[in-house]
Amino acid sequence: MKSLRTDRLLLVLVVGGYLLLWGPIIVLGIFSFNSSAFGVKWESLTAKWYVELFQTSAIMDSVVRSLLIASVTTMVATGIGTIAGYGLFKYKFAGRRFLRLSILLPITVPYVIMAGALLVYFTQIIHVPLGYPTIIIAHISFSAPLAVFVTLGRMQRIDWSLEEASIDLGADRLTTWRKVTIPLLLPAIFASAVLIFPWSFNDFTITYFVAGVGTTTLPLYLYSMLQYSLKPVLINAISLIFIITPTIGILVLSYFQREKQFTR
Amino acid sequence: MKIFFGTKAPVRILPTLGPISLWIALFVFAPVGVIIYFSFLPADSAGEISAGVSLKNYWLLLTGDTDYGKAILRSVLYAFITNMVCLGIGYPTAYWIARYGGRFKALLLFLVIAPSWSCYLVRIYALKQLVGYPGILNDFLLHLGVISSPINMLYTSTAVVFGLIYIWLPFMVLPIYASVEGINPALLEASLDLGASPGWQFWTVTLPLSKGGIFGGTILTFIPALGDWLVPLLIGGNKVWMAGNLIQHYFIVRGNLAIGSSMAVILTAAVVLLIYMCIKLGGEDAVERIV
Repeated sequence: MKSLRTDRLLLVLVVGGYLLLWGPIIVLGIFSFNSSAFGVKWESLTAKWYVELFQTSAIMDSVVRSLLIASVTTMVATGIGTIAGYGLFKYKFAGRRFLRLSILLPITVPYVIMAGALLVYFTQIIHVPLGYPTIIIAHISFSAPLAVFVTLGRMQRIDWSLEEASIDLGADRLTTWRKVTIPLLLPAIFASAVLIFPWSFNDFTITYFVAGVGTTTLPLYLYSMLQYSLKPVLINAISLIFIITPTIGILVLSYFQREKQFTR
Repeated sequence: MKIFFGTKAPVRILPTLGPISLWIALFVFAPVGVIIYFSFLPADSAGEISAGVSLKNYWLLLTGDTDYGKAILRSVLYAFITNMVCLGIGYPTAYWIARYGGRFKALLLFLVIAPSWSCYLVRIYALKQLVGYPGILNDFLLHLGVISSPINMLYTSTAVVFGLIYIWLPFMVLPIYASVEGINPALLEASLDLGASPGWQFWTVTLPLSKGGIFGGTILTFIPALGDWLVPLLIGGNKVWMAGNLIQHYFIVRGNLAIGSSMAVILTAAVVLLIYMCIKLGGEDAVERIV
């Protein structure tokens, strides 16, 4: 028998883990409704910081920039990544393992290294002015691999005989792609997009390295607010938005997955 | 260079794998190649790069009177402690979810993943607001009368390590969960039938079979902790520098691309060595588990 003490220790560690992950975020969330401007002493309940947030044009501008960058990144990265995942799953060829490891490279090497390398590359070698193009290119390099592996994971659960059936029944390859393969891949495409969009929206390190003047995204704006200690309470309010957005994304994703399980 | 098997395969491989290969070559391999090249260029203290090849940058990192070497050793040490503590909290958590989660498995996993997908800057800030001074915890304790003067919990090495654990913990849980969940239940039953006690079963069956998850989690926790620069900057208050801070300092603040590059190359070498070791020890499963 496993002793009661082991079980209790296990539970303590688990509860401790969850507390560590959520404690600071929950406290921050509660304090974003605090009327005190300095944020640490509780005064009274208010939503005025959220109103102020929406009235500060600098913040809203940076939100628009972040949304723009995240949208373009999501579209391109999901596209490139999904077809690459499909190719990696379907075809066996020499160099497949090497390609897989290469795709893994940008997501395993610390961001600060790849971001620094991209900065040198953009400014010294290909001479692209820092701004939207550099941010979006950098974001795609990091998020397309995510889409590849999301797709690879999902492809194992797809019934590929449908594709063969389509060809046996006389459809050409292009029609099969359009009518069978893409619909089969839709859950993977959706899952990739739901992961990549918040990733790009939230990214700080890479954007910080390759952003130029005038392309301040929301995380960069937040960083400058932190640096100059401007309105801590406003930062609390922004933070809650940052935490809620991906949470909704993951919830939508899991709901979608559940739907799929029922239909199969 | 690639040899394709099958006659029709290359025609179909190119449109699917061509774009990503091109992208990785142009925007991952080329930049890495460029920093390797830059790391061998001689640069003066102002960052002005001259022609030629030298090992001066690397030499400076090893023998310079500055704290380079210390920062690198510190990074390795902190990342190691972070990894071990994350394993200590993350393994039980993942194991518990997989074994006792029941119908709440999805929710429990979601509660682990959600923080890791929110902005990492925000999470550091949340921690700082909570334990810093002025900070919520200090204020609360002062109010209760538990402490008479605010305690300084930030700007120390301990605070930095704690911050690293807080940030990177979710990445340890997921791969371990996946491998514990993937263990064939028949194997566990068999070990009990053959007379193993649950404790013995854990050490001889569960733990070895979740090796891939442990090393996958190590790749996902050790490496980002090794290259982290925001935690030491914000939680360590710019006093406790790690390798990532040196890279950021030389690339952004000083604009000395040559020295920055050589730092980045050294860190990349450390990372590649670590990934290699994890794959050797944890098997190909370690790679499978991290994605």
